[in-house]
Amino acid sequence: MNSHLNRAGGSVERPAITRREAIQRAAIFLGAALSPSLLSGVMRAQSAPAAAGAKPVYLTAQQLETAAALAERILPRTDTPGARDVGVPAFIDLMYGKYLSPEEKKLFAAGLAEVETASAAAHRRAFPQLATAQQDALLTRLAEAARNREGTFFYQLKELTVVGYFTAETVGKTVLHYDPVPGRFDACAPIAEVGNVNWTK
Amino acid sequence: MATIQGAGTKQNTYDAIVIGSGISGGWAAKELCEKGLKTLVLERGRDVKHGDYPTAFKESWEFEGRTKLPPAEIAKQEKQNRTGYTTHPASAHWFVNDLENPYSEEKRFDWMRGYHVGGRSLLWGRQSYRWSDLDFEANAKDGVAVDWPVRYAEIAPWYDYAERFAGISGSLEQLPHLPDGQFQPPMELNCLEKDVKRRVADAFGGRPLIIGRVANLTQPLNGRGSCQYRNRCIRGCPYGAYFSSNAATLPAAYATGHLTLRPFSIVSQLIYDEARGRAIGVRMIDAETNAVIEYFAKVIFCCASSVASTSILLNSKSARFPNGFGNDSGELGHNLMDHHFKVGASGLSDKFADMYQKGQRANGIYIPRFRNLNQATKQKDYIRGFGYQGSASRSDWSRGIKELNLFGPKFKADLIAPGPWRLGIGAWGECLPYHENRLFLNDKVRDKWGQPTVTFNCDWKENEYAMRKDMKASAVEMLEAAGLKDVTPFDDVSAPGLCIHEMGTARMGRDPKTSILNRWNQVHAAPNVFVTDGACMTSASCVNPSLTYMALTARACDYAVSELKKRNL
Repeated sequence: MNSHLNRAGGSVERPAITRREAIQRAAIFLGAALSPSLLSGVMRAQSAPAAAGAKPVYLTAQQLETAAALAERILPRTDTPGARDVGVPAFIDLMYGKYLSPEEKKLFAAGLAEVETASAAAHRRAFPQLATAQQDALLTRLAEAARNREGTFFYQLKELTVVGYFTAETVGKTVLHYDPVPGRFDACAPIAEVGNVNWTK
Repeated sequence: MATIQGAGTKQNTYDAIVIGSGISGGWAAKELCEKGLKTLVLERGRDVKHGDYPTAFKESWEFEGRTKLPPAEIAKQEKQNRTGYTTHPASAHWFVNDLENPYSEEKRFDWMRGYHVGGRSLLWGRQSYRWSDLDFEANAKDGVAVDWPVRYAEIAPWYDYAERFAGISGSLEQLPHLPDGQFQPPMELNCLEKDVKRRVADAFGGRPLIIGRVANLTQPLNGRGSCQYRNRCIRGCPYGAYFSSNAATLPAAYATGHLTLRPFSIVSQLIYDEARGRAIGVRMIDAETNAVIEYFAKVIFCCASSVASTSILLNSKSARFPNGFGNDSGELGHNLMDHHFKVGASGLSDKFADMYQKGQRANGIYIPRFRNLNQATKQKDYIRGFGYQGSASRSDWSRGIKELNLFGPKFKADLIAPGPWRLGIGAWGECLPYHENRLFLNDKVRDKWGQPTVTFNCDWKENEYAMRKDMKASAVEMLEAAGLKDVTPFDDVSAPGLCIHEMGTARMGRDPKTSILNRWNQVHAAPNVFVTDGACMTSASCVNPSLTYMALTARACDYAVSELKKRNL
């Protein structure tokens, strides 16, 4: 029950855009002026061999590394595991390959490309190689540009990261309150007794 | 095909045939078998034995897509997916494949259903409320449609009977328009719900906010376990802690030795014997082999769901019934109803920051109808009323998706901890029975067995829309009076059907000229045929209907058997 409280999310309806358009748009919204030569350099960088790390099945190695670096800044390792620790990059790769619609895939790939374009424009380095403060600054600009809208790359990235993280086994069993058969219900229990963590869903 | 005759009929003959194995069919099977009738239950879908719930113990990380199905799977359930929750990997297998089970919409109608033993008794919301004479007298008092041929006093003992077996937990409230029943101990309200309950009562002259009356056991019953507070009911409960045909009525029917249950059996028609002037059996198609088989019985119970039972009747044409079985009145397929919902409000509380819960309650709160109960509560813009369902809880990590600008260590720590308390309520409103809201058979669109499919033409009208304004405004008014912050209304009006409370289309009534069924759920013109699912409903009330189907079914079975004994059927 309570389905009435699940406000249905809008579907992603957005015209497909080419990588070049994505890069140009990124240049506009991130305030970077890209010269044609830099643009072609970025295009080449997109297809350059990827850094070492988890092997993607569906994304390119570089796309995966960009997505992993973004996810890790959204949910970084602290005294609890970070996005990389619990397999969020592999989850994003799987979702990209098997679960996103063609339109959602285009949005996601274009978004990753935009991030790399912006990174190259601002720092002349790939996003995963940036200092975390630089990554956070870029992520902040991405978030501000998204302006709380569904159907943006940033929304999609956050959804994949947050869902991938909080539905992961490590998080479900060691970070959250894991009790699949509670057997009883205490409607008002002090947090001091039950712990200050969400229940595993 | 020709009707089987002579000795060949014997092995296909039972005392009773029940079409469908959901809430109504399961009850019919239990009651008829326990009264000694050799009973055949025909279920169009696959068998599901109690406990055969493949996702019941799965954790999110055990589903490949976690919360998602691949696009190719979702494409098979585009209509079922309209709820927003049915095609989750934990529950999608309980809903039909829309490509294989098409229907047409002159106006949008969300027909949500599962084809398997147990039907929607495995999937239902389990909220269980009695009707009262406010409901049974409503049509007569308002001059709407036709009068119910029954009153509360006749149904009350059958509510008692159904509740004792089904196991309904709830609180006694002594409200005349929401009668108390034979309840197991209620589940508990949480801190914020208790606080809002007190404040709403103070601000609105004692207006009640109560724990939901729900078909989840709080004490073991007849070998079924009590609720384990997993809140994963829609997957099927291995403990049998909520009422389903699979956990409750069908095992009771099997225990008598009188039940034969045949899955993959799509009933296409009732067989009417013109010479004898009575229904003698049903014709069915084996869903797997396409074989057409006839079964015979003295009495037939149609319990296939409002839409499916009426479809079978419409498809059962004969010289006596050229417009569908029992359709002398022309009302068959008409007066289709559902509850209108998805309107209300929610708000935040900064109280109880040091409190949480232990366990996950499979139930919510209920605010019973408070409009048009009497002269003092009479509304000028609309008739009938609505009740609210909802709950308070601390929001979980999913809020982090929408908190878009946030990320980083503090964001992560916040999402791991329980979020702010939020209380939300949504109204369920009564829909009037309109003759023009209907379903009919479509001969042009055939299913894979060559059978005509259903077309819907149904929509909300002035009374429902006027009521919705109050449903939203009253929610805001109550939550603000309760001291909640950031009270946010919503009104996501949806098409009929989405509430999955479809009712009507073969209504009960006093007059054969204006109704299909009499006061015992018998087809006026064919007394050995009973319809006891939602099709029989003459009006919709604003409370969830399933408990009433249970009571009406048990009552009709009792009557049918007593009539058989008197050789009246």
